[in-house]
Amino acid sequence: MNDHLDPPQGQGSVSLNRRSFLRTGLGGALFLGTVSVTAGLSGCATAPAGRLGAVETRMDARYQFRFLTTDDIDLFEALLPAILGSALPEQPNARRIVIAGTLERIDAGIHKFGPANQKELRQLFDLLNFGLTRVTIARVWSSWRNVTAEQANAFLERWRSSNIGLFNNGYMALTKISNVAFYGYQGNWHLSGYPGPPEWAVKVLPQFRNA
Amino acid sequence: MSSKDRIAQGLESGWKVTDGATLTENHTVEADVVIVGTGAGGGTTAEILAKSGLSVILVEEGRLYYQKDFKMDELTSYANLYQEGMSRVTKDGAIAILQGRCVGGSTTVNWTSSFRTPDATLNYWGKRFGLEALSPDAMAPWFDGREIRHSMSPWEMDPNLNNDALRRGCEKLGYSWQIIPRNVKGCWNLGYCGVGCPTNAKQGALMTTIPGALDHNARLFHGLRAERLVMNQDRIDSLLASAMASDGITPTGIQVTLKAKHFVVAASAIGSPGLLLRSELPDPYERVGKRSFLHPVNASVAHMPKLVDPFYGAPQSVYSDEFNFRNGVDGDVGYKLEVPPLHPAMSAGVVPGHGDTQAKNLAGLPWMQSVIALLRDGFHEDSPGGTVSLRDDGSPVLDYPITDYLWKGIRDAFYTMAEIQFAAGADRVRLMHLDSDWYSSWADAKAAIDGFIMAPHRVRLFTAHQMGGCGMGSNPEESVVNGFGEHHHVSNLSVHDASVFPTSIGANPQLSVYALAARNSTRLAQRLQK
Repeated sequence: MNDHLDPPQGQGSVSLNRRSFLRTGLGGALFLGTVSVTAGLSGCATAPAGRLGAVETRMDARYQFRFLTTDDIDLFEALLPAILGSALPEQPNARRIVIAGTLERIDAGIHKFGPANQKELRQLFDLLNFGLTRVTIARVWSSWRNVTAEQANAFLERWRSSNIGLFNNGYMALTKISNVAFYGYQGNWHLSGYPGPPEWAVKVLPQFRNA
Repeated sequence: MSSKDRIAQGLESGWKVTDGATLTENHTVEADVVIVGTGAGGGTTAEILAKSGLSVILVEEGRLYYQKDFKMDELTSYANLYQEGMSRVTKDGAIAILQGRCVGGSTTVNWTSSFRTPDATLNYWGKRFGLEALSPDAMAPWFDGREIRHSMSPWEMDPNLNNDALRRGCEKLGYSWQIIPRNVKGCWNLGYCGVGCPTNAKQGALMTTIPGALDHNARLFHGLRAERLVMNQDRIDSLLASAMASDGITPTGIQVTLKAKHFVVAASAIGSPGLLLRSELPDPYERVGKRSFLHPVNASVAHMPKLVDPFYGAPQSVYSDEFNFRNGVDGDVGYKLEVPPLHPAMSAGVVPGHGDTQAKNLAGLPWMQSVIALLRDGFHEDSPGGTVSLRDDGSPVLDYPITDYLWKGIRDAFYTMAEIQFAAGADRVRLMHLDSDWYSSWADAKAAIDGFIMAPHRVRLFTAHQMGGCGMGSNPEESVVNGFGEHHHVSNLSVHDASVFPTSIGANPQLSVYALAARNSTRLAQRLQK
């Protein structure tokens, strides 16, 4: 990314205004709800992405997205390299496949969260996807498709270290969903040195025998 | 499937079990008693009532999962067996709520710790809530009975290294510690209690009272959500329930009406107040949903010099009550010390972080050890608990503000846990707080904890024990049910779960729920047979 796209260091009156705007505006679900509506009107993707073509997206074309929109997928494709860091493979093709699989597991997990928490996440994701709030609240200047891992990391650090609880909460939501979906997956168990269920038990338990 | 499995066998033998997802048209069913919930309270109630000859229907929102489904996989289990796919949190998102949602309720996924209600807690209830009838002496036979029913006894194998570190640390510092009684029979010591026992060793509701009830002709609906209790004059006439699709979360639109002489609500400390609120039952003093308690939990992780393999072995076998009642029952908040199992997804959810640092943190999992502190909330005027209310869609949500009284206990517990881990030989310790680094000495950790900002979200908080919200007491102005779980204002309604506790327990609550439900169901059976 070019330097001029980096977020300015907020110390002047503009930043103060922004902070007071956050304190009054972000606290209310009403405001977040407004973002969701506005996001829909302004052309953000609002429907689950459904099936995506395998060639274009590296996704398993059989997987049907039930919650994440194409914008959410852009968001997580930008965030996952910063969230997972060196746990992601470096080889580009392997990396794309791991990210795509993690996205599917994030989607499958959120599907099981049920309506109430889905609504909360919808508001969070819309807030991050909608240009105006992405810039003012996340202080991410370019669209997620153009955000580097360094910029994504800087965003995560801002929300983690912020003294505004809502941002800490947003940080935890994004990282927890991603970390659980990633490290909990069998294919990534080795990254936490977890050998899996004891083999001797798997061998003798009836539920592991072929049905 | 092996015919040894208790559930598979029962289903083959013709148990009356209906999966809500298979229903294609609305219908009405009737029994002597309808029980909402199949966890510690509902299961116990169903078995006792069914054995007494009453006809019983059990209603469970979650689905029936059993040995064939328990494959020691975190992601599948968290998605299917836990409330809101393991994403349940308090209203502001600050406390993660671990709670079961399946046949057997939380007993299907708990870590098997089986404690009697502490004497100090029962005595406090007697004095403060007019519950003298629940004295330690009066409750003893009920604890005895349930300890036998659920095969509870102190764990006889060596603690795993994760638990042994708590023992060693306490030993070195002169703090008391004990071995935890567990409800298991022929346990393989695998370490997967939290994702559904793969060997049927755990003697939760799923392996004991639910089969016991079904053997005695009880009927079970699973995948069926209790929507509202409908009053006719001063009695409940029926329960309206909605069937859920096989994903467990999408209503199919099919409605079941359940009629009964008596209704028992045992849908948990969040679900039960939720159902009572949705039903708009008489609540003249607005007590429903109030005084909800959580045993708020904070945690510390350590990097040990030798392998811990914290994912294997009985998850909880050592505890310390050194700090639980140290300041008296109603002084500064006390906390019980225990150990959590650490599998990859659980660890990734508990240890906050991202990027290369997080990758490194989790790569150290085999050497990771963890201690948790469970705060004994509800015994002090500055610990009034939280409030369950309804969202726009009718689902219950718990608002739990953390008071300064609790923050002080949380900070104290951070000190205690770090000190114990260093005493146990930890190389490094990290507190589960967004501002915590890894500290390589007790002095460094102590200095850092001194400066921690105690605020929601920054401190990582959890709960596996939800209690209260339909509190019991002798005075209807400050309680929802009496000491027998009988509703103060509706004569054919009882509440038989952890929601009736007027404070938290001060110990993992499953045995408290089993014992009180057994006592109150025995009384109810006598009452209904007259």
